[in-house]
Amino acid sequence: MRNYTQKIILGFIFIASFLLNSCDDEYLDNAKIYAEDSESFFNSETDYYNALVAAYDPLQSTFINVLMGEIASNNTLCGGESATDVPGYQQIDDMTHTPVNAQLQSLWSWMYGGVNRAAYIIEFQDKTDFPGKKGIIAEARFLRAYYNFELVKWFGDVSIKAEGRFVLGDEKTIPRSPKEAVYALIEDDLDYAVANLTYTAPEVGRATKGSAQALLGKVYLYQDKFLEASTVLKDLIDFGPYDLVTDYNSIFELAGENGKESVFEVQYLDVQGAGFGCLQCSEGNVAVGFQGVRGYEGTLFTSGFSFNVPTQEMVDQFEVGDKRKDVAILDIAAWANSTGAKYTTGYEHTGFFNRKYIPRKRSANAAGDLNLTNPNNYRAIRFADVLLMAAEAFNRRATPDDDIAKKYLNRVRLRAFGGPGFEVNSTDTNLRSAIYNERRVELVGEGHQFFDLVRTGRGAQIPGFVTGKNEVFPIPFQEIQFSQGNWSQNLNYK
Amino acid sequence: MRKKVSLLLFMFISLWATAQTLNVKGIVKDAITGDVLPGVSITIKGTTTGTQTDFDGLYSLSKVNKGAVLVFNYLGYKKKQVTVNGETVNVSLNESAESLDEIIVVGYGLQKRKDVTGAVSLIGEETLDALKPVDATTALQGTTSGVAVNLSSGSPGAKVNILIRGVSSNTNNQPLTIVDGYEGDLNSINPNDIESITVLKDAQAAIYGIKGANGVVLVTTKIGKKNRAPSVKYDTYAAVQHTTRKLDYLNATEYALVLNEAYAASGQTLPFTNVGSLGRGTDWQDQLFNDALLMNHNISLSGGGENVKYFISASRTQQDGIIAKEKSNFIRNNIKLNLGVDITKKLDFSLIANYFTSASQGFDGSLLFNGLNYAPTFGLNENDTNNFLGIEVVNPLSLLENTFGENNGNGIEGNFQLNYKPIDGLTVTTRLGYKIYNEKQRSFTPIQEYGSSKVYNQTQSSVYQFKATSIRVQWETFATYAKTFAQDHNTTFTLGTSVQNDLFDGIYATGFDVPNNSYEFADISLTNTQSEQRSINTGNGDIRLTSYFGRAQYDYKGKYLFSGLIRRDGASVFAKDKRVDNFWSVTSGWKISDENFLKDNKTISFLKLRASYGILGNLVGDNLYRSLLNGEGTYVFDGALVDGTAQGGLPNPKATWETAQKLDIGLDINLFDDKLSIVADYFEETRKDLLIQNFPVSGLLGSGAPGGANPTVNAGTSKNTGAELAINYKAYETNNASINLGYNVTYVKNNVTAVLDGAFVEGGGFAIGNLAPSRMEVGQPIGYFLGLVTDGVFQTQAEVNKHPSQNSLGATSAPGDIRYKDVDGNGVIDFNDRTNIGNPQADFYMGFNISAKYKNWDFTTYLYAEIGKDMVRNFERFLPNVNKPAYYLDRWTGPGTSNSVPRLTNDATNNKLFSDFFVEDASFLRMQNIQVGYNFSPELLEKVGLAKFRLYTSINNLFTLTKYTGFDPTVNGGAIGAGIDYGTYPSATQFLLGLNVTF
Repeated sequence: MRNYTQKIILGFIFIASFLLNSCDDEYLDNAKIYAEDSESFFNSETDYYNALVAAYDPLQSTFINVLMGEIASNNTLCGGESATDVPGYQQIDDMTHTPVNAQLQSLWSWMYGGVNRAAYIIEFQDKTDFPGKKGIIAEARFLRAYYNFELVKWFGDVSIKAEGRFVLGDEKTIPRSPKEAVYALIEDDLDYAVANLTYTAPEVGRATKGSAQALLGKVYLYQDKFLEASTVLKDLIDFGPYDLVTDYNSIFELAGENGKESVFEVQYLDVQGAGFGCLQCSEGNVAVGFQGVRGYEGTLFTSGFSFNVPTQEMVDQFEVGDKRKDVAILDIAAWANSTGAKYTTGYEHTGFFNRKYIPRKRSANAAGDLNLTNPNNYRAIRFADVLLMAAEAFNRRATPDDDIAKKYLNRVRLRAFGGPGFEVNSTDTNLRSAIYNERRVELVGEGHQFFDLVRTGRGAQIPGFVTGKNEVFPIPFQEIQFSQGNWSQNLNYK
Repeated sequence: MRKKVSLLLFMFISLWATAQTLNVKGIVKDAITGDVLPGVSITIKGTTTGTQTDFDGLYSLSKVNKGAVLVFNYLGYKKKQVTVNGETVNVSLNESAESLDEIIVVGYGLQKRKDVTGAVSLIGEETLDALKPVDATTALQGTTSGVAVNLSSGSPGAKVNILIRGVSSNTNNQPLTIVDGYEGDLNSINPNDIESITVLKDAQAAIYGIKGANGVVLVTTKIGKKNRAPSVKYDTYAAVQHTTRKLDYLNATEYALVLNEAYAASGQTLPFTNVGSLGRGTDWQDQLFNDALLMNHNISLSGGGENVKYFISASRTQQDGIIAKEKSNFIRNNIKLNLGVDITKKLDFSLIANYFTSASQGFDGSLLFNGLNYAPTFGLNENDTNNFLGIEVVNPLSLLENTFGENNGNGIEGNFQLNYKPIDGLTVTTRLGYKIYNEKQRSFTPIQEYGSSKVYNQTQSSVYQFKATSIRVQWETFATYAKTFAQDHNTTFTLGTSVQNDLFDGIYATGFDVPNNSYEFADISLTNTQSEQRSINTGNGDIRLTSYFGRAQYDYKGKYLFSGLIRRDGASVFAKDKRVDNFWSVTSGWKISDENFLKDNKTISFLKLRASYGILGNLVGDNLYRSLLNGEGTYVFDGALVDGTAQGGLPNPKATWETAQKLDIGLDINLFDDKLSIVADYFEETRKDLLIQNFPVSGLLGSGAPGGANPTVNAGTSKNTGAELAINYKAYETNNASINLGYNVTYVKNNVTAVLDGAFVEGGGFAIGNLAPSRMEVGQPIGYFLGLVTDGVFQTQAEVNKHPSQNSLGATSAPGDIRYKDVDGNGVIDFNDRTNIGNPQADFYMGFNISAKYKNWDFTTYLYAEIGKDMVRNFERFLPNVNKPAYYLDRWTGPGTSNSVPRLTNDATNNKLFSDFFVEDASFLRMQNIQVGYNFSPELLEKVGLAKFRLYTSINNLFTLTKYTGFDPTVNGGAIGAGIDYGTYPSATQFLLGLNVTF
């Protein structure tokens, strides 16, 4: 017995001491060998492609830019369920918004999420070589320009970092770059994209040379660089593969997605579920459900949250004979009368809905929450927009060419009225007003009006708008705090 | 031999015996368990005459004078004296729970209570017996100073949180639980198997290093005793459960009137034109709550021989929920085997094994939330098809019908331990602790429709399944050497090592289109294989720890005590250069009562001063230093989803664990022959490097992208200061009767002393669209509520005009609206006027208990109170048409009507902003338990062959005194975001009837 005991004990001591002498470091290091991390990535073309896909992903979160941008304008009222349904939207509609605004905070974070996803690729652009890499880098730079443009549109001066991702502490050291510097980086990125992309994308949904040119033209226009804008947009109109589709209505239906009028389109799909906890994670267009008719039951459409309801004033902008009116605006009472559809009314019910982007009947594959997963692509830059931008650029540049401007404008009007007889023949400032009006009705419901008004100095047309304040939105309250004095608040916000 | 001598003595003495002598015999038993006690010494008082009980607890003494006093003495039991009046003297001895010689577990060692230099609390078997907790953790509530226990919910099987000396960490405040030497959890253990629970509250826990900062709960389970006859026990109880509370909400008529008023105020058409016909309508709470059953069966066998001791038990606990019992319930089964064997005189082993299974069904809080908000005007089966109540409120009964979820677990845990004593004073121990836990979850979401565009609508059915195995292996080897030098210098040295590995391996999947839309078919194998949404994922975890530890204890004559200990821990979860650290503590004690000047003091029977100081760690977080590519980067190309690769949470290479500096000064006093014992402690803890998850950082860094998260940063320091006091008073004690009183109180004040960059951490949520209500911020307690301060209600437009503008809050104020204080005094009311409006953590928590015995009757009661805590009423959905709490009946309806409850209107107001209007004092006093038991007398039982037969009746949570208007002020948990009541599942009042039998 004694012998056994001693053997057992010796066994213990042996194993225990073995353990004590074995290398701790190795044991502790061994964990999680199977997980790849961000700094060891970009080892193959596939890695670059996958990172690029992820850089496109935050485009889907721009639903909030479109929805809130439209609510901010004089086109619509906020609506919703009640006066306190999404206070952030309600306040922006009334121009009573303050730096404390959850939706503005989201927009800020989501757009910077996009900037950093694109910058991640740019930061590692030299790590691994493969044929066609320039194209991927060009798309990444297009995307960064897209997100930065949204930021500068909404907030004015914002922080930028040309070389790559932002890291912890940058918010305290990198100042808000003046608008001009932000635009310079955007132009730089887009120049690269224009130079390295072609008019045909390898997959539907990816940016093309045309997308980059159109965005560049828009960026010039926002800076009143009309000559540059007219040049790049004319080049796009003359050499690009884009054209207006005949039937305005077809653009906004599923079959019309990614058509020949689409210069850049944000892609959505409804086969994956989504929830309110992470709206930016939805693969669907969240804005569509928000704009749907409350309690709707009937043909063609499905219900939604009745936000962003067009005003009578907006509806009255359509001239008699304009075929776009019934496409852009749903007069729910009339519709219910003719089809027997049922609906309920929400807050600020005007009787009108943004028909371009309200929910359609869904396929059997549609995943819930159906309100958050609508598959409607957002037609971010339409060829009609390009024509009107070009028209404006030619009209407003130092050496105006109103003939070209009229040509572009009337091309849009020809389609709108379904034939000749509605041409604009004025020049100079009258022509300019006509172009402005045309932009409003052609692009209603697409999130452009607020920014068009602001960039052309007409912000005061918006009820509640305070000149010298509301041209930009406030930097979110918390962001100012995080920057610890590095950033100051936009003028007249506190 | 000794017996024979005594016999001779008896015979000798008997020569002088008179005719009044008796031949006394009897049996000696444990008063609680009814076990027979062998080897109890029995002497006749004032003589040296005596005997011992035999293996069956029997004894006999011949020729004892009538009226003589027999003294029964047994190690670990209270001495008992009985006067001889007849020939049979049966005696029950009580274990001396409060005895100073009691041995308690202190982590890699044992100590006599009187020699303990740390702050330690002990819960004995009798407390667990009295409280009959479903989860043993609940037995710590109110019974232990310095320990607070919070339920996360009253739902059966819900997690119970323990807090030792307050909230120090913003993330993890759960103490380390060590069961018989292995790291375990209280919730998998059958409370009947527990012999004692020791709580280490101060720096003494530094022997557990990186896991010791939140305190340590040491559980010892029963293992039997050597040389005991087998004892079989059967315990059972059954209880009826009933909700502790229902909320006061409007009935149909009141509701309709209130709504009409709001519509009128906004100039809208009245929704109810015929209020008179509505009556009381449907009380949805009545529909949801039900009486429910709680049952427990427990059987055990224990005993021991010369070289063996054993304990075997089996138990089953079944608890139905007080809400929708068919879908909320909990079952736990346990089988326990503990075995100790002496292989040789120098070598022994023990085997501890606990097999457990659990099954529960539950639902999320939205059920009660809907129950409160759904209008009383609807009928039982009536859905709000017209969205009258908005899209987020649906018929709770319909919702319940569509709720399916179950959670099953089973596992085995325990320890295999060898002790070797090669030479006198040296013990070498090695043990392998293990816990294997298999978990299985399934939830089914059927196709459901509550009315157009309701958020709960589902057009497609889905089933989510989750299976995971967690394995923990822990191997510890340590040696303890005790030696006394020059008679008075006692030393003990401990040296050891520990290796631990925690593995997790799980698989999660969701399938769509469940056949027949039925739970019976809810299995992924039966779902649509073509569905693009079908998803599958795995989760892995591998946490490794290596540790070395040592302890030296020294005392001089047992009067001056010192100990010092150190532990070096390495943890795989941090970056290489941040992985290893040392933790240590020193403790000391001075037994003043052993000094000459107190030695023979009549009043003070024991007096000891203690002090401890040390550095401990709190292991939080995993892999924080790396940025993993686990973000969401899915987009649509060519009309189909394409998965990209994106960064997940932002990394922090500098992340390391939290450290705690703990100071404790304590005093143990026993007075009046140990009748009154007092334990008092003052403590301070500074918790540094608080690991703040999702540390708010600028959106600039990109964490707002899908699947992103903010980094976890060591970004805060908090300080807890407090004191605790425990008093025990044996008010009365005779052979037939006793009364014991116990009271304990703990005061803790928490203060955040630093947050990186002067930033703050937000959490919690209030209603929809409000700023986060809870914060961690310098100068405030962790998780305090930040909101606006109300200053009554505007009575007139003149008052509105006179007051600083409230427009910056989002809406223009009118008479009847809440007036907010201009806290920063800048003449404008805005969100900068938010300030501290409450603290979810109590200032004081206390327990009071009485236990009394009279002849065969016993009585116990436990009360528990928390004072100075606040909770947020967050179960109202602020929509015009939902039902409302009854306090709206006292709303403002015109000048002078109300200065607290605002007007009702459907217009935009600032009244629903987070303010002290929604924060309530949630201090409470709860009658946790009241119990009466009857023990049938041993004489009677002997005839039927039973050792013990006790019947009892008991009520848990009989009443709760509180001003709080929500369901349950005791439900709490967490740090930042604690105390926000979304309509929590309340605790149940339980009416028990129980039986204890020992064969």
